[in-house]
Amino acid sequence: MPHVVTDSCTACRYTECVALCPVDCFHAAEDRLYIDPEACIDCAACVPVCPVKAIVDAFDLESRADELIALNRQRSRELPVIDSKTAALPTAEARRAALGY
Amino acid sequence: MTTMLAQDATVLGACPHDCPDTCSMLVKVANGKVTGVQGNPAHPFTQGRLCAKTSHYQERVYHPERVLYPMRRSGPKGSGQFERISWDEALATIGERWRAIIKADGPTAILPYSYLGTQGIVNGLTVGDPFFNQLGATISERTFCDSGASTAYVMTVGPTPGMDPESLAHSRFIILWACNLLSTNAHLWPFVDQARKQGAKLVVIDPVKTGTTAMADLHLRPRPGTDGALALAMIHVIIREGLVDRDYVDRHTIGFDELSAHVAQYTPEFAADETGIDAEVIRTLARDYATAQPSAIRIGVAIERSAGGGQLVRAIACLPALVGAWRRPGGGLLQLPLWAFPVRWDRLHRADLATPGTRVINQWKLGAALTGSLPLDPPIRALFVYNSNPLVVAPDQLRLQQGLAREDLFTVVSEQFMTDTARYADLLLPATTQVEQDDLMFSWGHLYLTLNRQAVPPQGEAVSNAELFRRLATVMGFDDPFFQRSDETILRESLDWDAPTMQGISMELLEAQGYARLNLPAADVFAPHAEGGFPTPSGKVEMKASMAAGGNFVLPTFRQGYGELQDGSPVPALPTYQPPRESGIRDAAPGARHPLAMMSPKSHSFLNSSYANHRRQLARESEQRLFMNPVDADARGIRSDDLVRVRNARGSFVAVAKVGDDAMPGVVVAPMGYWIASSRAKATPAALNPTVLGDLGGAPTFSDNAVEVERA
Ligand code: SF4
Repeated sequence: MPHVVTDSCTACRYTECVALCPVDCFHAAEDRLYIDPEACIDCAACVPVCPVKAIVDAFDLESRADELIALNRQRSRELPVIDSKTAALPTAEARRAALGY
Repeated sequence: MTTMLAQDATVLGACPHDCPDTCSMLVKVANGKVTGVQGNPAHPFTQGRLCAKTSHYQERVYHPERVLYPMRRSGPKGSGQFERISWDEALATIGERWRAIIKADGPTAILPYSYLGTQGIVNGLTVGDPFFNQLGATISERTFCDSGASTAYVMTVGPTPGMDPESLAHSRFIILWACNLLSTNAHLWPFVDQARKQGAKLVVIDPVKTGTTAMADLHLRPRPGTDGALALAMIHVIIREGLVDRDYVDRHTIGFDELSAHVAQYTPEFAADETGIDAEVIRTLARDYATAQPSAIRIGVAIERSAGGGQLVRAIACLPALVGAWRRPGGGLLQLPLWAFPVRWDRLHRADLATPGTRVINQWKLGAALTGSLPLDPPIRALFVYNSNPLVVAPDQLRLQQGLAREDLFTVVSEQFMTDTARYADLLLPATTQVEQDDLMFSWGHLYLTLNRQAVPPQGEAVSNAELFRRLATVMGFDDPFFQRSDETILRESLDWDAPTMQGISMELLEAQGYARLNLPAADVFAPHAEGGFPTPSGKVEMKASMAAGGNFVLPTFRQGYGELQDGSPVPALPTYQPPRESGIRDAAPGARHPLAMMSPKSHSFLNSSYANHRRQLARESEQRLFMNPVDADARGIRSDDLVRVRNARGSFVAVAKVGDDAMPGVVVAPMGYWIASSRAKATPAALNPTVLGDLGGAPTFSDNAVEVERA
């Protein structure tokens, strides 16, 4: 199963991950990122760099996997690719603290 | 020597798998257990990335089905019933049985069988060679992967590392030929991608639609096994249209005039008829390849897997010289950069210990060798399998099962898991995973040495391959201290540290950063053959190959270092088209006996059969599928998700049909790696694979395979 971006990204959007992706599979919305599950090759390079651990292998989500893959697929179709880092959202630090990281 | 292992640490590791990328890994240890792995972000080639196989390597280490103790068979062969015994008992049994066999039939009645389940200087390709050469066992010719392409490549350009993989970033035109980069060589992709982003054009030649072909500017789909016609027609066009770099050809090649006359027959129209690719497209490809300099060709392992695969590589290896691609960084051919490493093959194989005249058995013939269909005197009485799972990777699955079931065959298997092959063992020995052992890796996909340090103690009573052969040497009474060399000694003594490519590289450096690039110029200035200097007999690119005079051969690297008793059958000195043997596919209508051509490529999340017993990887790959084109599916009343039986005279298996454009008309695609024990009809695609070898270097012909499909 591919990796997906979970809701933890919302209001953070640190974008530490995007330049590491060898296949440019990240897509950016105003509030967060998504992974195109068709493009992801499961190299997992993005996982350790996310400050809020928002990226997970869909396999580990068990029952929620299909739903999150579908959401990531859907949004990736609508949104542009992001392949270089941008500034985190102004709300990022607060959100990160709230998530306990 | 006992290594002190930290309870909590990040240990520098290296992926052990048979993959060109040889990734540098960080292994996280907490409370003496591996809690996770990640790519080493500092490694300039692998760049912090792993892959769908290894990103959770700890699940392999602690898999509940690991083989952890020596075991003796307690049920019928193949049943998988075993009982635990001690190492002492296991080793004593092996010694006793082997001595009796040697006494009765001589040591050649023993056959080692191995390849690259684990790579590495210490525990990989050659780990058992000194032992079996000393024992006098039958020599195993291991032409699993790239041997055919290597013979062709060496005949043409010599054992050169070829272009620096990283220099692909500077290419203006890239052809990935028979290579699904994103699944099987993914760490090369960023360099290709960089070139693309700087305007390079990417052409992918592959009958199958893959993640990689989706990235291409142009995806060409030749009928399986006809690529030789395409390559030769490219040569034809380049010569006829005056696109040749005359200066380079004059100074650095031999045989141009003969080649020029020889390829007159290989017109684009001829190639169009063979491949199904439009003649005008072939002309444009040849022109673009010749004129967009520097141009690069990356060939994948799959390229050799049909009747004429060797001659195809001969033709491709002529192309860069014809257009002068070697002149600049980013130009040339990338096959096996392995030849860059100053490996002391003599010390690794110890071919000097082999008994002159010892017979050789090609490992693709195991089924025939065990069942008497290969005339052998003496017959094989004992089989020793390590680093391999022949029941899933070798052809002739049914016959192989019969052979392994022989009551009079004494089979020992060293394994991490109860594989399909392991089920047939009389004795099963537990093998370590990479985090439980030390090793130093060269690579066949980049120019870095990568160190693997042990992170945790061996699980259960597992031992590394190197330790296994130390124990076997003791049991067999080999008193030469060479057979008791420590891992550390093997690791240090097997490279020529004085070689120019090793200058500036030390164990200290490797311990500190986990890797070291060979001392070669940086990729943006490195053009190894700008001024010729090819390691062939003539020192030039041999379009007309002088080595053809000796007939067909397998490089000693793939046969325990042994050079004797080569095949020697005639080889054309000029690249010559040889059509596929089975996959003629002119008529894919149902009713023709075996009208469809089957290919069985590597699965994205499996490494051959490794990981096909892991839930995570199975979740991505699901069960055995067969990709079919709608044209062929409709003609057979097959819809997506139907169960289908795929068959030919050699065997059959059952798969779930997936109908779509992934497979071209006339071709069916069955990704490989799934285990027999968990398959629906107790058979996998290897059951249908032909045993006939390709034209050069003992390559298999698994992409030259005619089958029929029906609803199950
Ligand atoms: S299998 Fe290949 S790509 Fe995956 S971690 Fe190992 S070397 Fe890297």
